[in-house]
Amino acid sequence: MAKAKPTKTYQEMAQELATYIGWFESDSVNLDEAIAKYEQAMKLLEEMENYLKTAQNKITKIKAKFE
Amino acid sequence: MDGVILTPSDFVALLNQTLEIAYPLVIIEGELSNFRVSKNRWLYFDLQDEASSVKFFGTVFSLPGPLEDGMVVQVVGAPRLHPRFGFSVNVQSVMPRGEGSIKKAADLLRAKLEKEGLFALERKRPLPAIPQAIGLITAANSAAYKDFTKIMDERWGGIEVYLADVYVQGAQAPQQIVNAIEYLNRQPGLADLLVLTRGGGSAEDLAAFNDERVVRAVAASRIPTLVAIGHEVDLSLAELAADVRASTPTNAAQLAVPSRSEASTELKAVSSVLHNALERGVETESRKVGEGREYLTSQVFSLFDSLKTELSGTRKLIHIFDPRAALKRGYAIISKGGRHISSARDLKKGERLGIQLADGTIGATVTGRE
Repeated sequence: MAKAKPTKTYQEMAQELATYIGWFESDSVNLDEAIAKYEQAMKLLEEMENYLKTAQNKITKIKAKFE
Repeated sequence: MDGVILTPSDFVALLNQTLEIAYPLVIIEGELSNFRVSKNRWLYFDLQDEASSVKFFGTVFSLPGPLEDGMVVQVVGAPRLHPRFGFSVNVQSVMPRGEGSIKKAADLLRAKLEKEGLFALERKRPLPAIPQAIGLITAANSAAYKDFTKIMDERWGGIEVYLADVYVQGAQAPQQIVNAIEYLNRQPGLADLLVLTRGGGSAEDLAAFNDERVVRAVAASRIPTLVAIGHEVDLSLAELAADVRASTPTNAAQLAVPSRSEASTELKAVSSVLHNALERGVETESRKVGEGREYLTSQVFSLFDSLKTELSGTRKLIHIFDPRAALKRGYAIISKGGRHISSARDLKKGERLGIQLADGTIGATVTGRE
């Protein structure tokens, strides 16, 4: 049985992750903020790993006839 | 019917009725001759063999592409007697037959569509990096369907697949494929990628993918297209018109969706990049703290040094004002009754004085004023 579809698509999560990478690549070095962002990014990475492990494809046959 | 007299119209109607019951559709294969198109719409040709020739009539919409006399074609049509022009077969579909004719037809169509720019590289669009929903056009019971979905499931998850089950060979295949492409394009937001695929087969089996209607429908699709027909060596015109061509159904799945394992490796790499970035942040902060400590220490030492210098100056000054230093230079302190004398007027003749020198005090008597 397929698991419930996650609220975010993988692509959306990947885009979110890219913003974290961008933040860490910038010059800002507020350590408190960096730690908070790191923790958020790690949580996101875990969600993405989970998606890769559990997401399943769903195939629906179109009822329309093409004759 | 013996003795029944018919009008020409009655005869035509009667014959057509009979034909409709006896031969609603016939399939005739033969060599094409007298092929011509009138007003870009009407189609006339004959099919012949050594002994016979049969007339055909139809519209260009039933053609798989440009044809030439001499080609062998298979025609599906309904035999009819026209009230004025006589007997002909009304064409429903035409398919080139035999490797030579199929290749010739494909070459003619390729040249025509190439001229129109249908295969131009500028027309190619990128496929979505990760499709949300795929419109899959193939035969549901085919090996191509099994191969594609098996590899897709192995590689990625979370994709909605809408399967358009169509014939992928035979006379009905081109129109069904065209209808499926158009249907999927008419459903807004249903699919963000179209995959048209079938496995290997003979040139005749794959003919639908060299059909002008199919090739044009692929080229006209608003949804990006990925087409994989036959084996690696087979190259159909539908593939040339597609945004991306894959060599086999398996290869189509590989190109359509990313791989979980590659994505997982990427996630690990990102995790390590973020970890390093955080470590660098911590290092920068602790270096700053270290630098601050060094600065403070050096400030304290520099203050200490300047105090020391100041102290030594004061000490020198004190030394200068030390009366004992003056005694060493030969000066003396004169006292009378324990009090220092600084004026000769305070002394009278015969008074006893103490004279303090650097190394001791001696007694003296005032003998007079000079």
